[in-house]
Amino acid sequence: MAVSRALRQPLSLRVTSAAFLTLWCLIAAFPIFWITVMSVKLPLDAFASSPWEVLFGPATLAAGKGLTLLDIAASLGLLWATAWVAMRRVPGWVARFTPPNVIALGWLVAAAVLGLGFVLMGFVILPPILTWINSALGLPAVLGLTTQHYRAVWVENAFWHNFLNSMKVTLGVTAISLTVGTLAGYALARSGSKLAFWILIIALVFRALPHSVLVTGYLPLFINSAALLRPILGDAAPTLYGQPLAVIAVLVAINQPFTIWMLRSFFHNIPADLDEAARVDGCTHFQAFRWVIMPVMWPGVITTGLFSFLLGYNDYLVTSLLLDASNQTMVPAIAGFFNRETTMTDQVEAIAAAVSITAPLFLLVMVFQRQIVSGLTAGAVKG
Amino acid sequence: MYLRKLALAGVFALMGSTAMAACAFQNTVPLKSLSAGFEAWKSATTAMAECGNFTAELDQDFEKKQPEAFAANPSLYQIGGVSNGSITPLMNAGTIRALDDLVAKYGAGLAPNQLIKVDGHIMAIAMMVNTQHWMYRKDIFDKLGLTAPTTYDEVLADAEKIKAAGVVDYPLGATMGVGWNLGEEVNNMFMGFGGQSVNADGTPNVNNETGLKTLNMLKSLTAYMDPEYLTADSTYVQQQFQQGKIAMANLWASRAGAMDDAAESKVVGMVEGAAAPAAMAGGAPATTLWWDGFVIAKNISDEEADAAFRVALEGIDTEMVTAHNEDAVWLISGYTPGRLAAGAFATAALNPPPYPSTAAMGVMHMAMDGEVAAFLKGERSAEDTLVAIEAAYTKGAKDAGILK
Amino acid sequence: MKFKTFAAFVAPSVLMMLIFIAVPLLLVFGESFYRTSPVMEVVEFESCTPGFGTQTCKTDTKISPALDAAGKVVWQTDFVGIENYADVVEPQKFWTDLKALDWAQLMDIDFWRALRFTLTFTFITLPLVLGLGLALALAVNNLTRSLRGPVIFVTLLPFIITPVIGALSIRWLFVGEGILTRALEALSGTDIAMFAQSWTIELLMMFYRVWSSAPFAFVIFYAGLQGVNQDAVEAAMIDGASRWQRLRFVVIPYLMPLIVFVALIHLMDAYRVFDEVVGLRTQGHVISLQYLTYDFLMPDDAGNRSVSRAAASSMLTMIGIVILLIPMLRRTWADQKGRA
Repeated sequence: MAVSRALRQPLSLRVTSAAFLTLWCLIAAFPIFWITVMSVKLPLDAFASSPWEVLFGPATLAAGKGLTLLDIAASLGLLWATAWVAMRRVPGWVARFTPPNVIALGWLVAAAVLGLGFVLMGFVILPPILTWINSALGLPAVLGLTTQHYRAVWVENAFWHNFLNSMKVTLGVTAISLTVGTLAGYALARSGSKLAFWILIIALVFRALPHSVLVTGYLPLFINSAALLRPILGDAAPTLYGQPLAVIAVLVAINQPFTIWMLRSFFHNIPADLDEAARVDGCTHFQAFRWVIMPVMWPGVITTGLFSFLLGYNDYLVTSLLLDASNQTMVPAIAGFFNRETTMTDQVEAIAAAVSITAPLFLLVMVFQRQIVSGLTAGAVKG
Repeated sequence: MYLRKLALAGVFALMGSTAMAACAFQNTVPLKSLSAGFEAWKSATTAMAECGNFTAELDQDFEKKQPEAFAANPSLYQIGGVSNGSITPLMNAGTIRALDDLVAKYGAGLAPNQLIKVDGHIMAIAMMVNTQHWMYRKDIFDKLGLTAPTTYDEVLADAEKIKAAGVVDYPLGATMGVGWNLGEEVNNMFMGFGGQSVNADGTPNVNNETGLKTLNMLKSLTAYMDPEYLTADSTYVQQQFQQGKIAMANLWASRAGAMDDAAESKVVGMVEGAAAPAAMAGGAPATTLWWDGFVIAKNISDEEADAAFRVALEGIDTEMVTAHNEDAVWLISGYTPGRLAAGAFATAALNPPPYPSTAAMGVMHMAMDGEVAAFLKGERSAEDTLVAIEAAYTKGAKDAGILK
Repeated sequence: MKFKTFAAFVAPSVLMMLIFIAVPLLLVFGESFYRTSPVMEVVEFESCTPGFGTQTCKTDTKISPALDAAGKVVWQTDFVGIENYADVVEPQKFWTDLKALDWAQLMDIDFWRALRFTLTFTFITLPLVLGLGLALALAVNNLTRSLRGPVIFVTLLPFIITPVIGALSIRWLFVGEGILTRALEALSGTDIAMFAQSWTIELLMMFYRVWSSAPFAFVIFYAGLQGVNQDAVEAAMIDGASRWQRLRFVVIPYLMPLIVFVALIHLMDAYRVFDEVVGLRTQGHVISLQYLTYDFLMPDDAGNRSVSRAAASSMLTMIGIVILLIPMLRRTWADQKGRA
C-alpha cells in the first residue's frame, strides 16, 4: 500500500518520531537485556559496582570462562536466525501444513519446535564445534561469560519440572478459558436480553476485584476440602490444595470476565446473518456456532487465547498460595529462590531462572505478533 | 577418551554407593516436608532425600501455609521445619505430635539439648541455634585502633570514628526492612533495655521509659546506615558486607559463613564475630536466642510418623554436618565451630533471653514492625509512636482473642 | 435466542464465576460484620531452649488457645456490627485530624495512607499510559513497514514479562548502588538513594507501571489506527486541517471507544496495585489498599491473622473501585441500551 499523499510528512516530524521510538525501545529492552547479562556472570561480576565489569566480566574471565570473538559471532548469528525464522518463515509453514480448524495447534507445535531447535543448536550442537575450532585456531577468550547458572537451575534444581508444571497450568487455563469463554461470548453477543446485559456488567465489576481478597479465602477451603467434601463424595473426596486442576479452575474463573468481554466483541463483528442462514438450513444453535461461526473466529480466539496464556503463565498470587512443591510452577519457584535467605550465587541462579522463564514469552510474541495486531484490528477494537 | 569415560563411570559408581550409604535405610513411605529455605535447611533436606520417597518444600513464606497444612486431616506434610517462633501456631493448635516414644526408639544419638520439651513432652528436635550477633571488619577496627563494642553507646562512638575515617560507604548495616525484620530489631533493643512488651494479662506495655530509650537508640543508629535501611533484609546486609560497603552489623549467625566464600566475597578473612552488644551497660546482649528444628504432624498414621522421624534424623546426622559445617551453628555431634562461629558462642555465653514464643508476642512483633518506620523517617514523635504501637497491638490482640 | 439455549451457552462461564468469585465475595461480606477468634486461656507451661551446650528450662504463663476434647481449637464468632470497619477507617481520629487540617496525623492511619497512595498512583499513571500508548501507536504507524515488526516486538516486551520478575529487575537496577542509580548520580552529580524516601519510591513504582502497561495501550491503539478511514483524513486535509487538527478531530474521535476501553482496564488494574509493593519491597514507605488487605490476612509468627479486619478493608476497597467505575459503567450501560 502506497503512503497516501495526505500522510506524507515533513522531515522534522519523522526525525522526532524516530528518536522517540529509539529512546522507548532502549527503555523497554534495557532491564531485560541487563538481567540477561547478569545471569551469565559469576556473582562478583554480576553485582560489581562498575557497569563495565558487569558487561565484560573480568572475574568470570579470570575463572577461565569466556567467549572468543568466534563464539560471539556464532551466538549473534543464531539469535538473528531464530528471529528471522520466527517472523518470516513460521507463519507460512503453519498456513501450509495445518488444516484451518486446528490452526492454533499448528502454531503451538511450531513455537515448541522453534524453541527446541534454538536450545539444541545453542547448548548442544554449537558448543563442542566452537570449542574445537577455538582450540584449533588458538583464539583467546575476550568476554567473560558462563552458562553454569543455567545448568544449575535446569539440571541441578530440576527447573524443567517447574517448566512442565507451568505448561500444564498455562495450557489448561488457555484451553478451558477459551472453550467456556467462546460459548458464553457467543450467547452474550447474540442475545439482547436484560439478563445478558446484567451478566456483562457484573462481570465487569468482577474484573475489578482485588485478587488477594478471593485467593486467601480459598486457602483454608482448599486445604480442608477432603474433610469438607467427604459427606458428599465419600472417600473419593480430593484435597484440592496442590492440585493443578484446582488452580486452573481458579485462574479460569478469575480470567472469565475479560475473556467473555473480549470474545463477545469479536462475535459482534461477525454478522448475525451468517448463523441465521445456517439455522434456516436446519442447524441447531450449537451446530451453527460450531460449524459456521467458529471457523471465522480464529483470529479472535488466538488473540484472546494469548491474553489467557499470559495470565496463566505469569500468575504469582494464586499459584504461590495454592500449589505445593511437587506441582509448583515457574513463577513461585523463582520468587522462592529470591526470597530465600540466599547467597549471591543463589541470586544469580534466580536471575538465570528469570531469564529462562522470559524466553518462551519472547518466542510466543515473535511467532504470534502479527496475529495479535491483526486479531485486534479485525475484532475486539471495534466492539 | 574411552579411558576417561571408564574413569568417570567409576566415580559415578562410587558416588552412587556413598549416596546409598548416606542413608541407613531405604524409605518406602511417601513423605513431604515444609520448611524455610536457608542454607541449613537446604543441606538437611538434601540429606533426607537420600533415603528416597521424600520431597522437600523449601519456602521462605512457609509460615503462611504451615498452620493450615498441618491442621488438615490427613496433614499435607509429615515433617515440618520450624523455629521457636513458627512452632507457636502448631503448638497452640495442637497439630504436632509428642515425640517421646520415637525418641526412645530411634533417638539414641541425639544430644539432650536437641530435645525441645514443652510441659515435659518432647515436641521438636532442634538441629541448630541462631542468634543475631556482632560482625565487624577486623582490618578496619585494627587500623583505627578500635575493639569490638560491648554496648550500643560504644557502637555509636565506633561508628562515628569509622565515618570520620571514611573507609567504607556506611559504618553500620542493619536488618531493618519492614515486614518482619524491623519488628525483630525493635524487640531486641526493647528486651535489651530490660523491657517486657506484653504483660501477663495480655495488655501491652511499651509506652514507657524503656520504649522511649529503645526508639531513640534505634534512631541514633540509623544515622550511620545506608539510607535505604527500611528495605534491608539479611541477604542485603550480608551482600553489603561481602562487597565491603559496611564495617559492622548485628547479623544472624547463619550468615557468618558467607563472609569467607571466595566466589562471592571481597572480604574473605577480614570479618570477625563478637558478642552482640548490650543496650545498657551490664545488661544482657540486646538480641534473642533462636533454634531451628523439625516437628512431626499429629494427623498422620503412626507408620508415617515412624518413617518421617527416621528420615528426618538421617537429614540431621553427623555425616551431613561434617559436609556442611559452615552452614550454621549446629547442635549435632560432629560439628566443629569455625572461626566465624566465635561471635555466636560469645553471645550465648552472656545469656541473652530466648525469643518469647507466644501468641501475644506474634501480634506485638508485627505492631512494632508496622509502626516504628514512621518514627525513624521523622514523620512522628517517639511518644506518638509508642501510643500507636499499643493501639495497633490492641486491635490485633482483639482479633486474635487475646484481649476482649 | 431462546432462554434455554442462552442459558446452556453461558452456564459454564457463569457457574465458574459464581463459585470462585461471587460466593467468596459474599462470604467476605458476611465476615466483615463478625469477629472470629480462638477462645484463649491462660496456661502455665515449662519450656526449654537448647542453649549452647546446656539446656535452659523455665516455667512461665502464657495466653494460648483453648483446645476441646478432640484437640481442636475452639473458635468463637461474635457479631460486632461495623466495628471492623471502624477499626480500619478510624473515623474519630479521621475527623479530628481533618478538622485540625493535620495531614501528617491523617496519614498515620494505614487505611487513609493506602487510599491516598492508591488514588495518586491510579490517576497519575492513567494519562501517562494513555498518552505514551497513543504516541507509540502513532510513531510506529509512521515507520516504514519493514521496521514495524521488530519495533512492535521490542515494545511489547515490558507488557509480556512476568510482573513479579519485572518489578524485581527494576529493584536490582535501582537498589543500593544499582546501575541506574549510579547513572542518575553521574548525570546529576548528587548522591541518590532511590529507596530512602517515599517520593522517589512512588516515582519508581509509577515508572514501572507506565513501563509495563503502556505497551498494552499501544497495541490496542495501533490496531485501532489500522482502521482509520483514510478518506476522512484526506477530506480533512483538503479542508485545510493541520496535522494536529486531523489528529484532534478525526483520529482521536475514531479511537475514542478504544481510549475508554484502555482507560477502564487501566483504572481497574492500577487501583489494585500490589505487585509493585511486594516486588519493590516498599512496605516501609508506601502501601496500597490491596496490600493492606493482604497484610491483615497474612499470619504473623504465632499464626494470628486479622481476618475480620481484612474482610472490612476488602469491602471498602471494593466500594472504592465501584465508585471509580460508575462513570464508565454508565457509559457502557448507555452503550448496551443503545444496542439492545
